[in-house]
Amino acid sequence: MSIVNVSRPSKFDVARRTFIRNGFGSPLATLISLFVIAGLAYLGWAMLDWAILRAVWNEENVSRCGGHAGACWSVIDARHRLILFGTYPFDEHWRSTLAAIAIVVTVMVSCLPFIWRARRLAVLWVAGFATYYLLMEGSLLGLPQVTTDGWGGLSLTLFLFAAVVLLGMPMGLGLALMRRSEMPVVRWFATILIDTVRSLPLVTTLFTAAVVMPLFLPNWLEGDKIWRVIVAFAMFFAAYQAEVFRGGFQAISKGQFEAGRALGLNYWSILGRIVLPQVFRHALPSTINMIVVTFKETAIVTIIGFFDILASGKAAYGTAVWAPYYIEVLVFVAAIYWVFIFLLGQYGEYLKSRMALAAH
Amino acid sequence: MKKFITAGTLALTGAIAPQIASAQSATVQQIVERGTMLCSGHNGSYFGFVEVNDQNEWKGLDIDLCRALTTAILGDPDANQIVPLSWAQRFPALQSGDVDVIIKATGWTMGRDTELGLQFSLPYFFGGTQFMAHGDLGITDATGLEGGTVCVEAGTSIERLAANYMTTIGVEHTMVSYESQAELRSAYLANRCDAFAGWGPNLAVLRATELDNPDAHTILSDQLSSEPISAAMRQGDDGFVDTVNWMLASLLIAEEEGVTSANVEEMAATPPNPRVARLLGAEPGMGERLGLRDTWAKEMIAAVGNFAEIYDRNLGKDSPYGLERGLNSLWSEGGVLYAPILD
Repeated sequence: MSIVNVSRPSKFDVARRTFIRNGFGSPLATLISLFVIAGLAYLGWAMLDWAILRAVWNEENVSRCGGHAGACWSVIDARHRLILFGTYPFDEHWRSTLAAIAIVVTVMVSCLPFIWRARRLAVLWVAGFATYYLLMEGSLLGLPQVTTDGWGGLSLTLFLFAAVVLLGMPMGLGLALMRRSEMPVVRWFATILIDTVRSLPLVTTLFTAAVVMPLFLPNWLEGDKIWRVIVAFAMFFAAYQAEVFRGGFQAISKGQFEAGRALGLNYWSILGRIVLPQVFRHALPSTINMIVVTFKETAIVTIIGFFDILASGKAAYGTAVWAPYYIEVLVFVAAIYWVFIFLLGQYGEYLKSRMALAAH
Repeated sequence: MKKFITAGTLALTGAIAPQIASAQSATVQQIVERGTMLCSGHNGSYFGFVEVNDQNEWKGLDIDLCRALTTAILGDPDANQIVPLSWAQRFPALQSGDVDVIIKATGWTMGRDTELGLQFSLPYFFGGTQFMAHGDLGITDATGLEGGTVCVEAGTSIERLAANYMTTIGVEHTMVSYESQAELRSAYLANRCDAFAGWGPNLAVLRATELDNPDAHTILSDQLSSEPISAAMRQGDDGFVDTVNWMLASLLIAEEEGVTSANVEEMAATPPNPRVARLLGAEPGMGERLGLRDTWAKEMIAAVGNFAEIYDRNLGKDSPYGLERGLNSLWSEGGVLYAPILD
């Protein structure tokens, strides 16, 4: 009787073995693998060389940029505050920083399971957005007033994104429920609304909200451009998200509703305790998709004159000294987008594994 | 309705006090009540005209003109708010009252003047479409592009202009369109185009900022067009148009008379001639007729300088772009800028 080693091989070992087996199993595979590895190594080296080894790092050394130097990060050194805060007054940047942190914290806390009660979420969101608004606008806290025309950069992008998603998500759920309603008028209303909004391009919707609506709305209803845009954007998000939820609803058999009713539960209990948890699970991958797309789509607001992070990036290289270094600025902005979207994706993975546990 | 009221007020004041008719500007009144002037900015940056500096403040030729106008009306160059606007958004934003005036490298066209219900000021800048070519081709005008490749940005008025022009002068060429400025630029630098068409000031900016060796590129002498750039206002407020026009005129008169931000106080104290005396408010008249203070032009020049100072600081010899005044010189120096008569 021999001793059998039953310890599981480490993940790394498995990966290594799979890699060798699949990548170098046959001469052709080996050839292709070597080719791809060489290509990647070359690209990786070229990027490393450009972005780090030959790069110029600070503003004082800008004269060394150009020619054979690599990336000129001087532009970021000199203009990062413009990229991050737009045209927000220079001395008040701490407010914009705190406001952006408030939004990030609000979103992060919203992601934690313990907060998932309607009342807690409502309190959190109201508190989070109020903090953002009070800090950014300032006049109610006795700080110098900064109107929304002066908001910009990363903190505006985060705010738009958070507001659109947090407002649009309940709206989307509401529309999805209305679309499943047994009352024909409600159902038709939701169907027509969803299809109308979906048939319009986002650019048109936002342009109408920002630019055309003030021409016919009465003054008292006009409000600030930013709120009109957020509501319109949230409507747009909701119309698509409603369909994502509908997909989730369709995955649940009617029998579950009937079983709930047979147990004497009312509509809201059936929905809240039986149906919705499953709907969310089914709709999760597409929902994360929607959220990521929305994060990137916020860049569209630049065409209606908002100074989001992409617009402020353009302004950052839009001056004689920094004009040649637009690639560096765009790489910087892309890196910021990447960080946020990567985190969103990872959170989606976490939710998936958490819900997978719940499903068993 | 609004138009009717304005017309009514004008008729009324016309009957009672003709000498201050132009003081009754609804827009100016609104600005004074608000205490802030709303000007147009850009969603990003438009070299030389609208930019953002390292302190996140707006600067540029158009921004300086806004500051001049703000000083004229409110006495404080900083009492304005720059509303970032995209190109497409600027006219609706003006109509809906999001801004009081558009000073944003905007050309005066018939369509805008009539159909869009806008009113344009005196032109303060002339910019035309031109070609830039590689210097080693050794050409100075577009006839040298025979058999060559000309690149343009797709779907722009420049594309149409260039095609038209080349057909008119009968030069055989290949025209290639690119989706964006950046693509166009790299295609040109990679020698895929012999020349490319663009707005004169943009070409000069590009030559000064992006190209490693500015001397290796020639801006050809052909002027495909020359567009007057003006401030745009809502139709129907003649008083405001007068104010903007005289703001621009005063900057030009100041340049003509050698009044600068440095010597304006001195000039106001001991005016060298009656014109300067009137301009700077040493002699009354300038203010009352526009419903402003008599010293508005003096304050304005002290704050932003005369037209030459504004131009040189943002586009001309004191700026990185070093754009020649050319057409944009005073009439007395071979340009086309002139001021109406200050009587």
